[in-house]
Amino acid sequence: MVLFGAFVAFRGLDPFEVYAVLYVGAVGTWFSIQDTLTQAAPLMLTALCTAVPARAGLLVIGGEGALVVGGVATVLVGVALSAAPAPIAIALMCVTGALAGGLWVGAAGALRSYRGVNETIATLLLNYIAIAIMNHLVTGPIRDYAQVLKPASWSVGERLMIGDMPGTSIHWGLAFGVAACVVAYVLLRWTTFGFAVDILGGNVRAAQIVGLPIGAMVLVTCFLGGAAAGLAGTMEIIAVHGFASSSLAVGYGYAGILVAFLARQNPLGVIFVSILLGGISASGGLLQRRFGLPDAATLVLQGMLFVIVLASNTLYGRLKLFRSGGA
Amino acid sequence: MAKRFGDVVALDGVSLKFEPGSFHAILGENGAGKSTLVKCMMGYHRPDAGHLLIDGEARTIGNPRQGHHFGLGMVYQHFTLVPSMTVAENLILGSPGLPAIIQWDRAREALEQFQRTMPFKMDLERPVATLAAGEKQKLEILKQLFLNRRVLILDEPTTVLTPAEADQILGLMREMTRSGRLTVILITHKLREVLDFAGEVTVLRAGRRVGGGRVGDLTRDDLVRMMIGVAGVPAPAPRVMTPDGAVALELEDLTVRNDKGVVAVSGVSVRIHAGEVVGVAGVSGNGQRELVEVLAGQREPESGEIRVGGAVYARTRAEMRRSRVFALTEEPLRNACVPRMSVGENLAFRNFDEAKNTRGWLLNRRAIRDQARALIARYRIKTPGPEARLETLSGGNVQRTVLARELSDQVSVLIAQNPCAGLDIGATAEIRGRIMSARNAGAAVLLISEDLDELLELADRIVVMFEGQFVYETPRDLADMQTIGRYMASHA
Amino acid sequence: MQATTDLGWWGVLIAVIGGAIRVSTPYLFVSLGETLTEKSGRVNLGLEGTLVMGAMSGYAIAYLTGSPWLGALLAGGVGALLGLLHGAVCSLARVNDIAVGIALFLFGTGLAFYLGKPFIEPVAPRLPHFALGAWSPYPQVRAALEINGLFVVGFGVAWLLLWGLRNTRWGLIVRTVGDNSDAARALGYSVPLVRTASTMAGGFLAGVGGSFLSLYYPGTWNEGLSSGQGLMAVTLVIFARWNPVHCFWVSLLFGGATALGPALQSVGITANYYLYGAAPYVLTLGLLIYSSSTQRTLVGAPSELTINK
Repeated sequence: MVLFGAFVAFRGLDPFEVYAVLYVGAVGTWFSIQDTLTQAAPLMLTALCTAVPARAGLLVIGGEGALVVGGVATVLVGVALSAAPAPIAIALMCVTGALAGGLWVGAAGALRSYRGVNETIATLLLNYIAIAIMNHLVTGPIRDYAQVLKPASWSVGERLMIGDMPGTSIHWGLAFGVAACVVAYVLLRWTTFGFAVDILGGNVRAAQIVGLPIGAMVLVTCFLGGAAAGLAGTMEIIAVHGFASSSLAVGYGYAGILVAFLARQNPLGVIFVSILLGGISASGGLLQRRFGLPDAATLVLQGMLFVIVLASNTLYGRLKLFRSGGA
Repeated sequence: MAKRFGDVVALDGVSLKFEPGSFHAILGENGAGKSTLVKCMMGYHRPDAGHLLIDGEARTIGNPRQGHHFGLGMVYQHFTLVPSMTVAENLILGSPGLPAIIQWDRAREALEQFQRTMPFKMDLERPVATLAAGEKQKLEILKQLFLNRRVLILDEPTTVLTPAEADQILGLMREMTRSGRLTVILITHKLREVLDFAGEVTVLRAGRRVGGGRVGDLTRDDLVRMMIGVAGVPAPAPRVMTPDGAVALELEDLTVRNDKGVVAVSGVSVRIHAGEVVGVAGVSGNGQRELVEVLAGQREPESGEIRVGGAVYARTRAEMRRSRVFALTEEPLRNACVPRMSVGENLAFRNFDEAKNTRGWLLNRRAIRDQARALIARYRIKTPGPEARLETLSGGNVQRTVLARELSDQVSVLIAQNPCAGLDIGATAEIRGRIMSARNAGAAVLLISEDLDELLELADRIVVMFEGQFVYETPRDLADMQTIGRYMASHA
Repeated sequence: MQATTDLGWWGVLIAVIGGAIRVSTPYLFVSLGETLTEKSGRVNLGLEGTLVMGAMSGYAIAYLTGSPWLGALLAGGVGALLGLLHGAVCSLARVNDIAVGIALFLFGTGLAFYLGKPFIEPVAPRLPHFALGAWSPYPQVRAALEINGLFVVGFGVAWLLLWGLRNTRWGLIVRTVGDNSDAARALGYSVPLVRTASTMAGGFLAGVGGSFLSLYYPGTWNEGLSSGQGLMAVTLVIFARWNPVHCFWVSLLFGGATALGPALQSVGITANYYLYGAAPYVLTLGLLIYSSSTQRTLVGAPSELTINK
């Protein structure tokens, strides 16, 4: 925060005024709270794409690609089921989106287990491939030419969209996001599978010596992470846009990585950090109007936060040393 | 020279003299103090007492670079070469005064000239990564010579070499000492190397110099006696005899490669019956680690079969549970635990997914905690509580935790590796007692240990492992220390 | 201009070659920078952010000073600063260099967009090019053979880097640090210092590569300028087996693959444009799968690289 203050001061603005606006922009009014939560929703899901595999010791950065793949799959299913009863179609779309994302990142997990391919680079490449496939489909085979603003796919139709939660202008994605994080937390902390994952992420050799099925576990955690991000893609379709376009790839995946690290890979922490980052994004608009600070400023703040959190990892080690050194 | 590490006396007043141009071997088992001695000489450690005299003058060597300055060089067991660089690049890397822009023609000329004075040559342009272990070792030696070292310390250099390569290198070293340009200090536990190549020998045991002299004046048996001592053989632990126990663990023609691709375990076969302890004696570095890793599921064998209870054993969790196979490895924090998880959680690694600790898919953390409390009490693990992180416990208590986890249920097969290393007398007695109880209850135990006393106390049969093979076997009652010691240090 | 001479498939080939030369330059610079960084044993995924910052600052400086070369140079300086930040943070214990790279990627990109807003409209002077195709009557050939200045510089840098890694003391030190850091420490060199210096140099090159995007092709500054070239460079380096001159050829390959889409468009094949755009990524992934194995580490990789372990 202090660095950001210095940053804006450099631009000739009073940092405290900026802080105040940040606050207002994030939680000052009901409107801004809703805005914050809306921005936070997709982050909760994409952050799980990094956080869940991280617990098993993997570094996955494929949230962006999984989201896109999930979104495209959702559109395809939604259009195919346009005549089906809404609840069934919606349920199937959610399942498909999650499945698509899960398979996408799961493929990287399989490559890691059975071929030793570095999962960070693999998921990175898969991101770009996913975006390319989406662009191709959206400008060609599934294009809706009635949309003139920019290339977009066919829409799943108003009937199949779930839009906002009643009484608010926050879309349902938030509910799914919170639910997914809670489920992930329960899975990792309270199930035998989660315990096994903790062992694997803590010490591979210990996992080996007690005979845990490491290859399969890598695959499953990658699949689960990808499924969460894929679901985020579904939400973008059925709760926000209704169709697929380049608006699917706006960086939610990469921001999710940031959220996961800030939350120390803890799914409950992800909920709060997403809201924090959502707040920063939400107030970006206000900052822009009030001070002429471009909304890229929020990207700067996020980046700074990330760097600082990573650097403070070393202090974490040192502080502990202090504590046990006295014993 | 004397040196302590905490409570452990590594060196206890050792005095040695090295004549110029001599080939002096330092012989001893693990923990005899050989490494500590040379590390003090080279400046890696500061001795607590004693002096170092070079050419008659007292010197202090505070770090390896000072050692280099006085012409002392050391060749380690691990390679200090840069794999992606060529032989030539590695050789000039350590040159003092290396210019900013390297004149390769001049450097090559200097290297060629240097090579002409050496009894062996190397292809300067080959990348080090493509060299065999023996060639890498030769290069390490060449490097020391190129840098004008006059005293060369070789720390167990032949552990990574084939017998043929070992002969070649040691022969070379002897030639160079004969021509007077080098003094060689060879650290080893292998008799053959001492008898075939060295001129003088000093034997260390438990940090003291127990004998030595000119190699020509000493027999093999003399050396063995000095190395392992003539202390009385410890009494065997009380045991229940199980006649005709079924074969519980069988290794057939097992071959395993280590990380560098060198064969570490070579065609090992053994059968262990229920209610029997088979002890594997040997100095570390002869393949024991790789053998245990394979049995623990941390490494894949190259060939051969492992059978538990008659069925092929693939080290899956289900098989471990069904066949009741457990393991006590060395360095438990590194090999068998997750340090940042709690004591209670570590205690549950084997059974967190069994019915008593679960409710369906969910973990029953209360049951796990109760189990932890019971085990902590029964095994007297000193910890603030089951929630404390394992890494906050002392070494002995970490090992007690692993013991509690592995031995608290019925055990059919137990793999134990140096289970009492670094522990105090009380903990040691306790752990040995538990192993015997397991044995008496019918477990087949494979006990790999560097401590001969431990084996003599616990084992029913003793096998000696040397250079990856089981070279000798004897029932405990007929065990002859002299013979065992001989096989630990040689093939015959 | 001549009457539209339809060269048919020759036109595609020429366009691809021209595209390869043109588009490869940022790939070249970033991959050279990453090669140097990785030779010292560190991975810098933040080069994408450095690339964008380089593009923005190069453009801004060129506009403000009127000299595109000065812009390119200072873009490099900015890149070096970001490299310094990466190196410094990674030098702290227990910090994962891959995570830091992603952080700097976000930070650099954000910073560039933030500071670059005022420069979206104005036009900055372009970097010069050599018209090697002036002899040709075909406009396509002339366009293809416009070799820009930075391409030539990059070619020179590739050879310089190769020579330097083999023939200078610094080159040997960098390689030692990256391949066997224990050996480097034994020789008395500070491993974090050498790595940070390499990362800075790598950042410098990436920054210059970024300036190419804004000062030559596409030649403007806006927020959609980069499409992941910085991140791709990491895989390009693996493909090139950490050899600077190989980076040159592989960059041409990647440039050509990137130019394939537009080239086909020019002969009327507009379908599957984006799929062709995916070609470099698919190629890289295929290569990665091919060269990975559960038993060995990647061939030719410096042993201290985290992505290898």
